[in-house]
Amino acid sequence: MIETNRLQNLEASEQPAVITLSGVSFGYDPKQPIFQDISLTIAQGQWVSLVGANGCGKSTLVKLLNALLPKSDGEIVVCGLQLNEENIGSIRQNIGMVFQNPDNQFIGATVEEDILFGLEGLCLEPIEMGHRLQVYTDKLGIAHLLDKHPGELSGGQKQRVAIASILAMEPGIVIFDEASSMLDEGSRNELLDILQRMRAEGKYTILMITHDADEILASDRVLALYGGGLAADMTPAELFSNDDLLDKCNLRMPFSWQLARELQKVGINTDVPASEKELIEKLWP
Amino acid sequence: MAIELQQVSYIYSDRSLWKQTALHNIDLSIPQGSIVGIAGATGSGKSTLLQLFNGILKPTEGTVKVLDVTLQAGEKSPKLLALRRRVGLVFQFPEQQMFEETVEKDLCFGPLNFGMSLEEAKERARKAMVDMGLDLSLLERNPFRLSGGQMRKAAIASVLAMDPEIVVLDEPTATLDPVSRAELISLLERLCREQGRTIIIVTHRMDELLPIADRWIVLKEGQAAFQGSTQELASDPSILERCGIAIPQSLRYWRAVADRFRLEGEVPRLTPKALAEFIASLSSDISHPEIEKRDNHE
Repeated sequence: MIETNRLQNLEASEQPAVITLSGVSFGYDPKQPIFQDISLTIAQGQWVSLVGANGCGKSTLVKLLNALLPKSDGEIVVCGLQLNEENIGSIRQNIGMVFQNPDNQFIGATVEEDILFGLEGLCLEPIEMGHRLQVYTDKLGIAHLLDKHPGELSGGQKQRVAIASILAMEPGIVIFDEASSMLDEGSRNELLDILQRMRAEGKYTILMITHDADEILASDRVLALYGGGLAADMTPAELFSNDDLLDKCNLRMPFSWQLARELQKVGINTDVPASEKELIEKLWP
Repeated sequence: MAIELQQVSYIYSDRSLWKQTALHNIDLSIPQGSIVGIAGATGSGKSTLLQLFNGILKPTEGTVKVLDVTLQAGEKSPKLLALRRRVGLVFQFPEQQMFEETVEKDLCFGPLNFGMSLEEAKERARKAMVDMGLDLSLLERNPFRLSGGQMRKAAIASVLAMDPEIVVLDEPTATLDPVSRAELISLLERLCREQGRTIIIVTHRMDELLPIADRWIVLKEGQAAFQGSTQELASDPSILERCGIAIPQSLRYWRAVADRFRLEGEVPRLTPKALAEFIASLSSDISHPEIEKRDNHE
């Protein structure tokens, strides 16, 4: 696991940087900074998890990237463009955001209208809009829902519509801000599937704020925020082997990791099982 | 019983063209001082059910008994003010529940409204903050300047400040980080076991509630598809799949071990620690090639 992750990091590091932060600080009140002097680089095509305890500033940090909040200090470069008054428009076109609660993201009276709203904002030709509508609703398996009202959709379906409307605008960077936290387990697995396909396509840089152990494990790289700074930049497997860091970020290991750990404590040495079936086969062949 | 429903149906916009049945013929009972989990796919009627518990909604058919108050379909309902203090409801989105300019004012609103003095209300607010693990310095803050997780805890604190006998929570742990989630669950467990309150929780994350829940209610399309103890649910979790819910990991691992040894009537081990210790006790009873092989290597 660690090996493959390292490999991906290595490959990704040869890609150009799409997000660079140098010495970035922010505070609503200058006397109470939320974080200070953060520097980091994210390469094109990487899938990065941003983790940390509630209130540590994860959502605030990503909102600085497209100037939804103004940084107090430092420099931000997105897709080669310096974040400033002049470039905000182009930078915002490069960044798509999917939030916790899809209800807050709905604008249209139907799924179709909702997806087209963003495309109209981009002033696309009607033919191109129709084309994208078809491509992205097919991709997310919501083509049959086009004339539905948001109220008729399940939580998982709504979140897929929200993702489709963002992806249809073809941003290079997609930010998921705890996008799975309102979803049931079935829909969470669907979302993970979508993310994995996005990574396979290689077009997207994914920045994902999450507390979910399975989501973190699926990503390439973890950035951990703690005490107003960047506490770690490592692979998911390294994170889940680091008790001190898990503690600082209020995180827990995935169930299967916890079970393997507890089994070791009682003298049964076993690798982390991929499934309950594998565990039984290993323990009692 | 803290709550008892007899043949309850709830229909939105009854007697109109757009009527929609949300709950259908539900019988259920929730014992006083128990922890009850409610699960169900989106649209199965969970939120409608919760709103019957303190009289926000009144049954279209059947009888709802909450503590000593009875709500009967078609009859004029008794005074509900007292009931609303005794049954605290925490909704899914905390931001929809907070409205004052400081956290302290928000937390005092309920107690003041139910006739407590300002001093008493402030004391309650502080106690609820401490119970929720929130720093008292946040009392002066604007609730909308809190992080999502802090806001959720503050919303729960505002309900606890009313000192309710029954606490009903809709997805209380969504958006909390895993440690805060575990803390909240153990706080709710203490409110039940030490103070005798009845705790009812709607959840998508059954894994975190399974180790402490006494009973479960599983809804499917407005009907109660399952009602029983955690042990009964653990003996056949396939009912969850039939209700459109993925079987949680703790139940999957427990079933795998229990099925392997054909265990029946065994108390389910639903935490990694309890399960590991149980596996160790099984392993010491039987020959265990894996352990011996590993030990030789080391």
